Amino acid sequence: MATVKERVVAVTARVLQLDPKEILPEKTFTVDLGAESVQSIELVASFEEEFGIEMDEDAALSVENVGDAIAFITKVCKEQDVEI
Amino acid sequence: MSNIKEYPLVDTTEPNLLEQTFDYGLPPMIHFDGPAIEVIDGRQVEFDPALLKSRDIVITDTTFRDGQQARPPYSVEQMVKIYDLLAKLGGPNGVIRQTEFFLYTKNDRETLDRCRELGHEFPECTGWIRAVKGDFRLVREAKLKESGMLTSCSDYHIFQKLKFKSRKQCMDSYCEVVDAAFEAGVRPRCHLEDVTRADIEGFVLPFVQRLMRMSEQVPDKLKAKIRLCDTMGFGISYPGVELPRSIPKLIYKMTQECGVPSERLEWHGHNDFHKVHVNGGSAWLYGCDAVNATLFGFGERTGNPPLESAIIEYIALKGGLCGIQTEVITEIADYMKSIGLPIPDNYPLVGKAFNTTRAGIHAGGLRQDERIYNIFDTTALLNRPPRVALTDKTGSDGVALWVNEFFGLKGDKRISKIKCHKVARWVTDQYEKHGRMTAISDEELETQVKELMPTYWEKYKG
Repeated sequence: MATVKERVVAVTARVLQLDPKEILPEKTFTVDLGAESVQSIELVASFEEEFGIEMDEDAALSVENVGDAIAFITKVCKEQDVEI
Repeated sequence: MSNIKEYPLVDTTEPNLLEQTFDYGLPPMIHFDGPAIEVIDGRQVEFDPALLKSRDIVITDTTFRDGQQARPPYSVEQMVKIYDLLAKLGGPNGVIRQTEFFLYTKNDRETLDRCRELGHEFPECTGWIRAVKGDFRLVREAKLKESGMLTSCSDYHIFQKLKFKSRKQCMDSYCEVVDAAFEAGVRPRCHLEDVTRADIEGFVLPFVQRLMRMSEQVPDKLKAKIRLCDTMGFGISYPGVELPRSIPKLIYKMTQECGVPSERLEWHGHNDFHKVHVNGGSAWLYGCDAVNATLFGFGERTGNPPLESAIIEYIALKGGLCGIQTEVITEIADYMKSIGLPIPDNYPLVGKAFNTTRAGIHAGGLRQDERIYNIFDTTALLNRPPRVALTDKTGSDGVALWVNEFFGLKGDKRISKIKCHKVARWVTDQYEKHGRMTAISDEELETQVKELMPTYWEKYKG
């Protein structure tokens, strides 16, 4: 089974139409990866769908980089008893 | 010595929303913290705004007179309907105290009869005639207690239009008609046309003083009223302006030097210089009890004080609704639009877009707390919830706001913008991929919400 990191990278690559190799933990979604306003929303929605979780909108949208997104999603999965 | 005063930051973690003034449930209050001051004839004169609370300030309507001078005539049915709505809007206290009618045609007289048959105490129906003695026959036959009459007072009118040989001949002629009114048992309301372009000391004050002397001879119910007609919109509310354009000075001269009581003094403005509404409010402040207005400001040329805005101003000055049914403003606007009156989208209080935001950053604010970008509770007071119009500038906040309004969801029930992402994408693509240049209509959005958010559609619209 793919790790949280691999799944986050795959979703990000699909939504932002990027090469997965470019998506590194320290990369910020907006400045480094070029996510525009609506893409940020699409990313959060896609993460929810991928992991079967519900995220707090403001908290999810305040996550800035890929590494923090991995940590945030891991935490939410644990809180919502979602197997990862 | 410097006047600079240090103001240390008053730090707080709780917002101060200044709710004494911006009580969201009412239009924003107008609070004064001192008198209005004007220098008149070298003397400093104070006007006390606190008196506005106790004075019986009112709105008088001229939708059927000046309002009809700006458009094709209303039908009898339309006027009766509008009159009925005016009565409902102004409420039982008669905030809309009077409305005036032409009396010259069969239709004019039938309308008047039909309106009175409705049995409303307010607005009281009054007439409007030329300053011609014979016209009082019409007023008497119509059984009206009061009628306006043209008593134009600038030399532009006296000499250039009416062709009087002298001011004395003009004044004598007007006073003959006032006498005829008294004899007919009708209160004359003298419309001082073009007063803001008149010789105040040379004609206006002597004329009004004569009218007041004549009024001493008749019962209170017949004493002449004075309407100050800013026919060309020349009136100025700023302190320090000279006569004849100064509204404060003009009103002071009327009340203090001619002895016209405030309750017999009225302001009638025109909007040629975009000053019409504030001039009306200023007239209230400086001592006119009545402000004459028309629905949506429709009147000769650029129009008159908009009645619906005068209503909001009234509430702001009085500090409460005073029996006014503000939501009727929207009802009247819908009716007027249905009979072909054009109301621009951005027209305050009633235009299609008056409380519609287009910028995404504003929509974001509106989504968090509608007070941020809405003037007052327009849902409660006008039956008009704040809206967003979707364009390329709206963003996902605006889309979410639109969706929640569409489904009528508030508070915890509101759908997050994350759940609206497919609709937000569709909107973005309209502009980025398809080069669209127009705003997206409600109907288009509705179609997209149905298709892209089927679960919510089923839950709230199914």
